[in-house]
Amino acid sequence: MSSESAQANAATEARFRIDDANWRQRVVKVMALDRRSEPVVRRLAQGRWGGATFFTASAFAPAPSPNTDMQFSMASWLSDLAGRTKDLVDELNGADLVAMVATAGENLQQVAPVIGEACKAKHVTTIAFVLGSASIPQDALSRTLRQLRPWTLMLVIAPSEEAITETLAALRA
Amino acid sequence: MLRREQNELLTQTGPNTPGGRLFRKYWIPALLVEELPNAECAPVRVKLLSERLLAFRDTRDRYGLIDEFCAHRGVSLWFGRNEEGGLRCPYHGWKYDYTGQCVEVPSEPEESGFCKKIKLKSYPLVERGGVLWTYMGPPDKRPPLPEWEFATVPREQSFTSKRLQECNWLQAMEGGIDSSHVSFLHRGELSSDPLFKGAKGNQYNLGDTRPVFEVAESPGGLYVGARRNTEDGNYYWRITQWVMPSFTMIPPRGNHPVHGHFWIPIDDENCWAWSFDYHALRPLTASEIAAMRDGKGIHVRYVPGTFRPMANKDNDYLIDREAQKAGRTYSGVAGIAMQDASMQESMGPIVDRTKENLVSTDNGIIMARHRLLRAIKDLIEKDATPPGVNTQHQRVRSASVVLEPGQAFADAATDALNVRPGVAHSTV
Repeated sequence: MSSESAQANAATEARFRIDDANWRQRVVKVMALDRRSEPVVRRLAQGRWGGATFFTASAFAPAPSPNTDMQFSMASWLSDLAGRTKDLVDELNGADLVAMVATAGENLQQVAPVIGEACKAKHVTTIAFVLGSASIPQDALSRTLRQLRPWTLMLVIAPSEEAITETLAALRA
Repeated sequence: MLRREQNELLTQTGPNTPGGRLFRKYWIPALLVEELPNAECAPVRVKLLSERLLAFRDTRDRYGLIDEFCAHRGVSLWFGRNEEGGLRCPYHGWKYDYTGQCVEVPSEPEESGFCKKIKLKSYPLVERGGVLWTYMGPPDKRPPLPEWEFATVPREQSFTSKRLQECNWLQAMEGGIDSSHVSFLHRGELSSDPLFKGAKGNQYNLGDTRPVFEVAESPGGLYVGARRNTEDGNYYWRITQWVMPSFTMIPPRGNHPVHGHFWIPIDDENCWAWSFDYHALRPLTASEIAAMRDGKGIHVRYVPGTFRPMANKDNDYLIDREAQKAGRTYSGVAGIAMQDASMQESMGPIVDRTKENLVSTDNGIIMARHRLLRAIKDLIEKDATPPGVNTQHQRVRSASVVLEPGQAFADAATDALNVRPGVAHSTV
């Protein structure tokens, strides 16, 4: 008599698998971290997505200096692709994943910690894609990675925009 | 998640399939050299990439890998007589040489030259590092012989085994680039397996079950870096190498031999898990080899006379629920190889990837699929040579290193990720 595993693993058993959807739509926020990534995110936004929305952080103001009495606010630190200002914290409420898109060699010192800290505070998982690594010196790439590393669970040196599209699709964005 | 058509592209490797064309660009392991131990030994049935073949070693020690079936009436040549420079079908005496050329048809007048008109499909079979390798692609596109380090070090420095895995090659291989399961599925073995235990790095593995990942393309495939915290604020990196189409190398632990795999399709529902261990600088010790033969590390014990693991689906993988409850094994299945295989076979022969729910830590798997799909597309549309064919892509190493937080692994460990003759693996 064959074992339970032998029966269960057989190809013919596949037809008895539950066919209902085993997932609910994830809420994914895709954010361009620098000006060169913005057109990439605009092109990504043209795809068919279930739960992904797209933003740019390239209009971010510099981080507030401790010497100024300027009121620090997350409210003006994010824009949607139509240019409307969005509140970062509001956007993170209910988000499942933040996908950051950055260009190798760009300075992310201001923007990465703000998004990273906010995601940390909101317990939102992060993934970061770095594009354009082939065209810059290794130390410049390392600098970009260093700036992202503390703020992301998965850091991907993406070979192409298509790799980002495929990854987001694989993650059911 | 993959679309159905993507899943089929990646999982089907028979003749004339796109995935099959990809595999037919590479030298792949076909048999262990000891399966054909001497001239005129018994032939061995081999199924690879959904093709039924027969391997034999002729009177002059030449290896042949030919169509299994006699061209006359379709009899299996496994029954053949290996004699006088060829394999003779016992039904009517037709005889074939190691290239598949028919050299005798006893019923026809010799002068007729009829036998010259009969030739079985054949592939080259070449020994390297204790493994017989074959190339199943077009003869005019045959690449240079493989140069994986485990196959080029002196024989006493390496040990290779193979086992039958009863599922598609891709779901088996994906386990090889999925570092995050180690802290769960294999956690018992990190402390007990003679080929794993004792390494400082194991403490980091067990102490930080939420690794952070970085993935980057390498010339031949991917580097998959898993980062864990150390006690002094640095990062412990384990960097797995995946080289197209199906080579994976596990990061080393202490001074243990380094392990790795090839995942080779038998057909679309079965594969060979080739498992190698080697040390770049020293012969393997008697106790290491004894442990490997005893099924420790990434190797298995067999059903006698076969390459089927002793623990298999027919005996429910000898699952021990008490060991599971007591924490001696995490899943209740003993041994690293069968822990992996039992999980992967339970998915069914070909897992339906339209139903899976990947998370960001699965990105090594996502990127590997993406690179495979790209290579298939480039092959079909432009006849482009895929990554991993170039022998330079094969001269790579996995590594485990401790780096300061600011260092990128692919940068800081560049030397460690390539073969350096006379230099040991970078390991913790």
